[in-house]
Amino acid sequence: MDVLGDGLLEALRLLLTGDEDTWAITGLTLRVSVTATMIAFLLGVPTAALLALGRFRGRRVLHAIANTGMGLPPVVVGLFVTVLLWRSGPLGSLGLLYTPTAMVIAQAAIATPIVIALTAAALQQVDQDFLLQMRALGATRFRALGALLMEAKLPLLAAGMAGFGAVVSEVGAAQMVGGNLAGETRVLTTAAVLATSRGQFALAIAFGLVLLIIAFAVNLAITIAQHRQLAAR
Amino acid sequence: MSIGCRDLRVSAGGRELVSVPALDIPAGETLAVLGPNGAGKSTLLRALAHLGTASRTGTVLLDGQAATTAGLRRAVAAVLQRPVLQRTTVLDNAAAGLRLRGVRRGEARRRAGPWLDALGVAHLATRNARTLSGGEAQRVAIARALAVAPRVLLLDEPFTGLDATTRTDLLADLRAALDRQDAAVLLVTHDREEARALAQRTALLVNGEIRQLGPTAEVLDAPADLECATLLGFTTQLPPALTGQDGMLVARPERCSPLDDSTPPPPDTVVAAGVLRRAVPLGGATRLDVDTATGPVTAVTTADVTFTPGSPIRIAIAPEHLRTCAPAAAPDAPSRNG
Repeated sequence: MDVLGDGLLEALRLLLTGDEDTWAITGLTLRVSVTATMIAFLLGVPTAALLALGRFRGRRVLHAIANTGMGLPPVVVGLFVTVLLWRSGPLGSLGLLYTPTAMVIAQAAIATPIVIALTAAALQQVDQDFLLQMRALGATRFRALGALLMEAKLPLLAAGMAGFGAVVSEVGAAQMVGGNLAGETRVLTTAAVLATSRGQFALAIAFGLVLLIIAFAVNLAITIAQHRQLAAR
Repeated sequence: MSIGCRDLRVSAGGRELVSVPALDIPAGETLAVLGPNGAGKSTLLRALAHLGTASRTGTVLLDGQAATTAGLRRAVAAVLQRPVLQRTTVLDNAAAGLRLRGVRRGEARRRAGPWLDALGVAHLATRNARTLSGGEAQRVAIARALAVAPRVLLLDEPFTGLDATTRTDLLADLRAALDRQDAAVLLVTHDREEARALAQRTALLVNGEIRQLGPTAEVLDAPADLECATLLGFTTQLPPALTGQDGMLVARPERCSPLDDSTPPPPDTVVAAGVLRRAVPLGGATRLDVDTATGPVTAVTTADVTFTPGSPIRIAIAPEHLRTCAPAAAPDAPSRNG
């Protein structure tokens, strides 16, 4: 109990006094995870639109693969990205392993299937005659698709938030491709693991608290978005 | 601007859904396409606008020239059977057609406002469209289409699912709104009264083919064949074997009256004798189903009915209420355009 109580107090002191390391780690965490989520969004939304609205052979199989990808273990993603970026690997010459870029790649690979699956589900829930009606009003294909995405903007936001929530809290891939290098690739999850293993519980709890605050903010945004959507029905 | 088609054929799953050799709607005219469920009415409407995924051959014409899909997008606005509105305010929904055509938000709202007023929903402008009733939503959907000032307006059963009062009000408002435009209008409907209220000409579409086409009043009163007769409400059908006359005679059930035994039939009246199978009260009228030697005959009467099921009965139809029509067209018979 003392460990937990003292740890909490020390954690609050670290956060409130603006401990430089803690905030640097938090900054990198947000930078890596937000970038990864944005990439996942840019790749995922068009793919989801193709899966949800396209009519081509193999669409259902691809949809099933995307759904399966939602549960992709970060460690497996970390493993494959590490192999790709390893010095003797296919992309080893780029020298990206143990850099924030490698972490962004791994986290984008984790978030993309989540964004695809949730976006495809969101687009399929919009009235099936929506695109037809937009076209019937004179919209080009591009404008009709834009209107559809606007119509599903709240579920799309939720998809993005879910992707972000998944990557900001994962530790396996970040550890494997980032290496947890102090001041370079150390993020909140890997820092918490390291601090715990060293018995620095106050520091670990501080990192955990920041992660919790981020997770709460993400979930609050999703919940507000969902409530707004329900209220609009 | 006029819209039309030549040799328009639509098929899906290896089955031909619509085949129209020629159809033309000049600017300023409303043409009703009247047909039963599954006749291909909506398919024809969508094919004319190059909408949907069904396989399509033939030519759609705008002002007599072969139309491109891009040209149709600019000229045509269509209202689907079910109003599909966006998750935003009524005013922004009414402005959506203009916005989709690249008009700025403020300008689109300014141009859409009067159409909400014309359709009687201006007071709902700030409401979320998802909270509207079916009738209100359909009014907004029509206002949205009219706001783009389409040169061709396609209406796919816009009154479906509305209660009688709402429907009557909307019919009147739509009639007035259409009078303000010079668009070529195609109204798809299965309701004769909607065609009568809105359309100068009417086409009867049965099994994907136009069986009759002409001025609405004439088409609605002169079915060409038995399927058209059924569609137009001439459901009492009297074959030559029953009447002793040449050709199939048809009449509306409400024009058929039961005769008392003591009442001699008026001169020239056609009388069908049979046995009353059942009498069904319809509230203010009674439907009489009579089995004759050649099949069932139906009459609807407002007179007191003293007949009981199983008793002999004679049904009289005055000559002015009888129409002669051809047997049902064979599936591969050529379509008739008037």
